[in-house]
Amino acid sequence: MIPLIILLAFLLAGCEKLESVFIEEDLLQRPQAKRCMDCHADIYEEWKESRHYHAWTSEQFKIESENYSKLKCLPCHAPHQVDPDKKPVLRAEFKADGVSCVACHFKEETKSMHGPLKVWSPPHPSKKDLAYVRSNFCAGCHQETFKEWRRSGTIKTCQSCHMPDLGKKDLIQKFPYYLFHLSKPRSSHRFPSLKAKPEDLRFELKDNVLYITNYRIPHNLPTADQGDPRLYIIARVYYRNGKVRTVRKLLSAQSKQVLAFREPFPLKLPKGEIEEVRVRVLRKLAWKKEKDLIGEFRIPSPSHARGGQSTQGGGPQ
Amino acid sequence: MRVLRGFALLVLAGGLAFGENKVILKKPPKSLHKYYPPKSKNFEFLNNMYIMSTSFFGINLNINEGNWKGALEWANRLRDTYKKTSRMVPEWKKYFKPALADDLVKAVKSKNVDKVIKASKKLGQTCASCHRDNEIAVKLVYHYPSFDNLKLEDPVEFMEVKVGKYMEKMTNSLKALRIYLTQGQKDMAQEAGTNFAERVRGLRAMCSKCHTDKASEEIYMGKNLESALTKLEELLSAEKLDQKAIFSTLDRISMTCAKCHNVHLVPAMVQEALAK
Ligand code: HEC
Ligand code: HEC
Ligand code: HEC
Ligand code: HEC
Ligand code: HEC
Ligand code: HEC
Ligand code: HEC
Ligand code: HEC
Repeated sequence: MIPLIILLAFLLAGCEKLESVFIEEDLLQRPQAKRCMDCHADIYEEWKESRHYHAWTSEQFKIESENYSKLKCLPCHAPHQVDPDKKPVLRAEFKADGVSCVACHFKEETKSMHGPLKVWSPPHPSKKDLAYVRSNFCAGCHQETFKEWRRSGTIKTCQSCHMPDLGKKDLIQKFPYYLFHLSKPRSSHRFPSLKAKPEDLRFELKDNVLYITNYRIPHNLPTADQGDPRLYIIARVYYRNGKVRTVRKLLSAQSKQVLAFREPFPLKLPKGEIEEVRVRVLRKLAWKKEKDLIGEFRIPSPSHARGGQSTQGGGPQ
Repeated sequence: MRVLRGFALLVLAGGLAFGENKVILKKPPKSLHKYYPPKSKNFEFLNNMYIMSTSFFGINLNINEGNWKGALEWANRLRDTYKKTSRMVPEWKKYFKPALADDLVKAVKSKNVDKVIKASKKLGQTCASCHRDNEIAVKLVYHYPSFDNLKLEDPVEFMEVKVGKYMEKMTNSLKALRIYLTQGQKDMAQEAGTNFAERVRGLRAMCSKCHTDKASEEIYMGKNLESALTKLEELLSAEKLDQKAIFSTLDRISMTCAKCHNVHLVPAMVQEALAK
């Protein structure tokens, strides 16, 4: 079967390069994202579940941009071409595709699809481009988050967390192309928002101040450019004398009240001799109505712990 | 040069309508809606304004260079656009005097500079009289973004509220702070003060709904404000309350309120009035 098709292709092509037989011109004329689905069906399905797909049609974006009339809001939500570190300009066509395949992969300069791999792709020219595996690929739009990330000094890229490795898979699902291609490293185009794990946070109680530290997420928690994600901290403070007080704190990326990477955030607790603090941490993503629970923690007073109590569930380390 | 000055005068004339002891703003008529978002993204009405004012300048420029043919083309364009615009908003028909646009074309045809100036002035007055009555209101309704559909999370009650409601809650905790301070109720003052500080910090979440440049936010909500808020919290948690220091810190914080109101509150209030 495979040799037959290749033979057929060579016969058709004569002395021409094999590529030109299969080339599909419209792919280089900035088609709609669903055109890419003809071959990259799996990637398309993933992307459709990502926030990038919703960037233009998002109800909240529509409201806050006053029905797309605040012009300075539009470029990042329907970009023409994504280049590292550069704020994009607004796209003219198919804005409903939001942050689309063509915007991220097609380059006017080379008239080809750029990506992280070396591929043989007869339907459209492709070019291996290592910019795709670096964090500054995301920086033109996620400007604030990128700055925070850089300050953290980590070597983990945005992609390594937000485009997690899916192992080796086919890039294309269309007959007959998939027959010619081996499976290749794939990364998730769901661009998951992720959620902090309980162990990403650390707590320390000292002199009636509860220090909360984002220990492992290399950007602010929460982080944002134009969205308004929030973190809710609800601390129940148990005193030696049996009294209980509740302290609530709203953290928000926009009001710069955040857990910066490895910078302890001090939460002042009311006076009195504390026995234990029980903390619930919830978060609300920018585009979601509901809150999600990140974790519940019990932090005994250090003097109390010395007296023989266990420090289970994220005590001071 | 003489001509140039004449024209410049005309098109700038506008400003605000005023009566005895009052300034008048008229609500934009309903039929104007369709030339602005969300109904239309092309700003057809405003674009005609640009065409007309460019045409005025085109007549002027060409006459100064002795190009009467070019001037006539612009005069025709001005007349056509003027007439077209006069049909766009029926409620505003009375502002237009199409005969004066014809007169201007005739004046240009006659190649008599004085006639052109006179005709321009007359036509220009019709522009100015409409601008005086309507331009500012139209700008506020169709170009100034609205605060009305924005929501902010109240950091004390963990609840989303509209901007006006948020301001009210924040102001109430400020008033409570002042009252408890005056009455010497330390714990209550402290709680009200903490709530106030949190609410002031929370205000910043609103800025990004209109601004995309963090530098704009810093101007009012930057380090100065944060240092005043931290100072307020310190003063409130001290053993003994230093009333004088607290009040002077509150004054520092109020600078932010006043500056931000100077830029945003007036348009927001007029806009709200026009929407009623
Ligand atoms: C520099 C690029 C950029 C610009 C300009 C921009 N945004 Fe966004 N926007 C983003 C990014 C990135 C996110 C993802 C969440 C985050 O990091 O804030 C986002 C998320 C959002 C969200 C939350 C997600 C949702 O759909 O509910 C809203 C609402 C939003 N933007 C509105 C706006 C408004 C209003 C403006 C103009 C005032 C604007 N954006 C301008 C990049 C941008
Ligand atoms: C007719 C089939 C077909 C269509 C339609 C198609 N592609 Fe491809 N694409 C391919 C093939 C074949 C490869 C190489 C696959 C392989 O090597 O496993 C490829 C590879 C790619 C790569 C990887 C490039 C690299 O160097 O890492 C990108 C990016 C890409 N395509 C983007 C797109 C985009 C964007 C669209 C829609 C505008 C699109 N493709 C539409 C067939 C197609
Ligand atoms: C062209 C601008 C642009 C580029 C480039 C871009 N993004 Fe985004 N991203 C956005 C916008 C806009 C949103 C918000 C969409 C919405 O919800 O309305 C977003 C949302 C997200 C979200 C979801 C955030 C949330 O609030 O849940 C993640 C995660 C994300 N992007 C990761 C990335 C990563 C990783 C990269 C780089 C590989 C990247 N983005 C590149 C514009 C961009
Ligand atoms: C926000 C920008 C963005 C969007 C939107 C986007 N991609 Fe990608 N794509 C990337 C990045 C970045 C990589 C490299 C990820 C890595 O290797 O870590 C990539 C990798 C790829 C690859 C190589 C295989 C893989 O999984 O790594 C293909 C093929 C591809 N994209 C196709 C598409 C198609 C088709 C769409 C639309 C359905 C699309 N991309 C949408 C940024 C984007
Ligand atoms: C070590 C893994 C890791 C890296 C690297 C990383 N992030 Fe995140 N990111 C996370 C986690 C975990 C969350 C979820 C936080 C939460 O619970 O809300 C998150 C959340 C986000 C959000 C959603 C807003 C929020 O506060 O929840 C955006 C947008 C985002 N990251 C963008 C980026 C960008 C852009 C980069 C690169 C500059 C990046 N991230 C690098 C782990 C990572
Ligand atoms: C019937 C009312 C009316 C008439 C007559 C009128 N205008 Fe206007 N004009 C407006 C309104 C309303 C605006 C504000 C529109 C906006 O900002 O969207 C405006 C705005 C303008 C502007 C300012 C555009 C800007 O930069 O904001 C110019 C210049 C202008 N008009 C020129 C003219 C000229 C020249 C004429 C006469 C030949 C004229 N207009 C006649 C109502 C009128
Ligand atoms: C409903 C929309 C809206 C909101 C919300 C808003 N602004 Fe503005 N602001 C404007 C407009 C419109 C202007 C006039 C200049 C312009 O068009 O950018 C302006 C002007 C300014 C200016 C002067 C010009 C500049 O950009 O430097 C500053 C400073 C400013 N705003 C700060 C803030 C701060 C701080 C906040 C949040 C506390 C805020 N604004 C919230 C609409 C808004
Ligand atoms: C964006 C910058 C901004 C800042 C900063 C700001 N305000 Fe406001 N304020 C507004 C706007 C806009 C309104 C009108 C809201 C509405 O009614 O929709 C308003 C309304 C008010 C009102 C009701 C006014 C009236 O007469 O109806 C009060 C009271 C108020 N603010 C107090 C404060 C105080 C106190 C502070 C400082 C601690 C403050 N504001 C800071 C923008 C701001």
